[in-house]
Amino acid sequence: MVKAFRISYFLRNTYRVNSIIYSLKQLPLVGQLLPQALYASHGLKRAVNGVSFVWEIVSAFLGKFLYLFLMVWLPLQMYPKQAEPADVYLHILLLFTVIGAMMNTWIFNPTNDKYYAMILMRMDARKYTLSNYIYQMLKFAVGFLPFSLWFGHKAGVPLPLCLLFPLFVVSAKMIFALICLKRYLRTGISTNENLPGKYLWTATFLLLGMAYGLPALGVALPLEVSGAVFLLVTLSGIYSVRVLRSFPYYREMYQQILAEKRYGTDFKAQVRQVNKQQNEKYISQELDIRTDKTGFEAFHQLFVRRHKKILRKPVQRTTGICACVLLGLVIAVLINEPVRTTTNRLILSMLPFFTFIMYSCNRGTIYTQVLFMNCDHSMLTYSFYKKPSFILKLFQIRLRELILLNLPPAIVIGGGLAFLLYLTGGTEHVMNYPVLVISILAMNVFFSVHYLTCYYLLQPYNAYTDMASSTYRLVTSGTYFVCFLLMRAKMDTMVFGTLAIVFCVAYCVIACVLVYRLAAKTFRLRN
Amino acid sequence: MEFVIEHLQKSFEKKEVLKDINFTFQEGKIYGLLGRNGAGKTTLFNCLNRDIRTDGGTFYFSVSEGHRQTSPDDIGYVLSTPTVPEFLTGEEFLKFFLEINETTISSPKTPEEYFRMVNIEPEDQRKLMKDYSHGMKNKMQMLINIIAEPPLLLLDEPLTSLDVVVAEEMKGLLRQLKKERIILFSTHIMELALDLCDEIVILNQGRLEEVEKENLDSSEFKDKIIEMLKEESHG
Repeated sequence: MVKAFRISYFLRNTYRVNSIIYSLKQLPLVGQLLPQALYASHGLKRAVNGVSFVWEIVSAFLGKFLYLFLMVWLPLQMYPKQAEPADVYLHILLLFTVIGAMMNTWIFNPTNDKYYAMILMRMDARKYTLSNYIYQMLKFAVGFLPFSLWFGHKAGVPLPLCLLFPLFVVSAKMIFALICLKRYLRTGISTNENLPGKYLWTATFLLLGMAYGLPALGVALPLEVSGAVFLLVTLSGIYSVRVLRSFPYYREMYQQILAEKRYGTDFKAQVRQVNKQQNEKYISQELDIRTDKTGFEAFHQLFVRRHKKILRKPVQRTTGICACVLLGLVIAVLINEPVRTTTNRLILSMLPFFTFIMYSCNRGTIYTQVLFMNCDHSMLTYSFYKKPSFILKLFQIRLRELILLNLPPAIVIGGGLAFLLYLTGGTEHVMNYPVLVISILAMNVFFSVHYLTCYYLLQPYNAYTDMASSTYRLVTSGTYFVCFLLMRAKMDTMVFGTLAIVFCVAYCVIACVLVYRLAAKTFRLRN
Repeated sequence: MEFVIEHLQKSFEKKEVLKDINFTFQEGKIYGLLGRNGAGKTTLFNCLNRDIRTDGGTFYFSVSEGHRQTSPDDIGYVLSTPTVPEFLTGEEFLKFFLEINETTISSPKTPEEYFRMVNIEPEDQRKLMKDYSHGMKNKMQMLINIIAEPPLLLLDEPLTSLDVVVAEEMKGLLRQLKKERIILFSTHIMELALDLCDEIVILNQGRLEEVEKENLDSSEFKDKIIEMLKEESHG
């Protein structure tokens, strides 16, 4: 068994080292400087091996520290003072450990290294599983021990319980493994950690709610109860060890769990496949979707109509939410004087905030993403589609569509703001009304033009549908960042609105000119 | 008409995939492009289709009036993995293509006639293409690429994953199509190349070489091709 563990450890380490080198090669700029021969460099491999070994040790402790600190200790500080910290601490730990036992099993996680070792290299499945499982459980226990003592002590938990906790975690995992193995023996169905069924999800959310929710209501399992559960589970863990050791069908079970790996262990390829299937689901199967238009107009209209679920429905939902919020505000300002005054003041000084709202409402990102995945990804392989005149024609149609698509929430927000301004006592400058409406509509046009222009000028996807443009990522995150900053800005509505309108018009003109000049060269599949 | 490639070069990082491609292709012939895995067949096609930029060299049509640069209309490119807009039915895709190219298609036929060319049944014509089989998508892709009658047709292993019936249909179609155009057919399968193609060209160490048939019988010809392909790995 020691030999099986040694071989599998080195195999996993080689895999990890090569993955690190591969990740280095994917970095922009740095990756281009690194030669392909890097994988054969013994010196580098030794260095990365060292890093990998250190990481193995650090991760065993760091992960446990972060888990206990972020998930248990920090929330503990937020509960009311009257709650007993030791009770709440153990209450959260206990319920979280049950979730962890079900969702982080190691044994039922279909990882590539298991596939390489047990299926491709035909290692003895039982020896491989047991030796690695023991190692993983030891890692859990040892990793948890110092922080269990530390945080437990700070929370006032008795020392025996702090010492028992790591064993409780390991035992809980083994009991869940035992249940799943018994299920396999009974039904022939194996458990896949990455595909938890609806019952497991429901149980997880319930436990999560109980872990955080009950202490907020002043309810927590008493320390004695948690302690008894710790002890019971740990003792039951001993029985699980016997079953896990003698289970004879590891190979058959893993054959089932790892079945999908036969079609490739490339994680990226699997993600692409899932994305492809997800995007295909957006295409409506309704047979009565037709068009009476011709050429590109027909082409695009069919696209929009067959993607109603992803394009139109969310807009309708957003518009509905905006309308409800508006209605609520109308009622509030009609019945409450202070709300009326505050609303009036905010409308006349908080227009920059609405840049972020308009950014959030805009469907440009999804629109361009679906355009690529379900349309341009295939169409850009046809020469005729890349004719400059065709590219521009379709750009016009798509831009018009995107602006119209985003119009309903913009009308509700723009019109709503003007209406609220009127209801709350109006303004000295009558021009504030049109400025409010037009600036919101201009923002809608701006974001629509912005997303589509970026898509046409930077076309970020390659033939495998991967996002391959760091510039595009930079531009989209920059857009978010600027809008986020504007949320905090306060400026007179007349001034900001006028500036926004002028900026939007200028941006749209420049963007469209750039698309007309450059799109024929830039709008193609990336390499 | 001839299609001429002169000193075409393309490298990725320090790897020179296409070192110095020089070749003249004649009208009315199917050229079988053979090369080992990673030899650069798809890179060559991508360069000719202007999907990727070349590092040097040129390619053009040589016609009686002189030289003419290629335009998107001149090239039909059929990929090994068929890509079709899956939100459309076959009928809608074909109709769209015919409408937007009505000025450039010299002797248009009805959609039904086109579908008959590639044996796509009426009930399949009205199905969304996302429900098409691999073979049907391949047929649609081929159909769209041949309707506009481009003078140069690049086929990147188009028959490899088709069932035998569809593969035979496609072979028949290609033989009909070769008149008045140049077809460049890349494949790994030597028997397929020998069966379908008029000339065999090998992409060898970043260069294109024609395999002269001379007076060799088919077995000797195969041996010669394999010898040339082996040279690449020792080069």
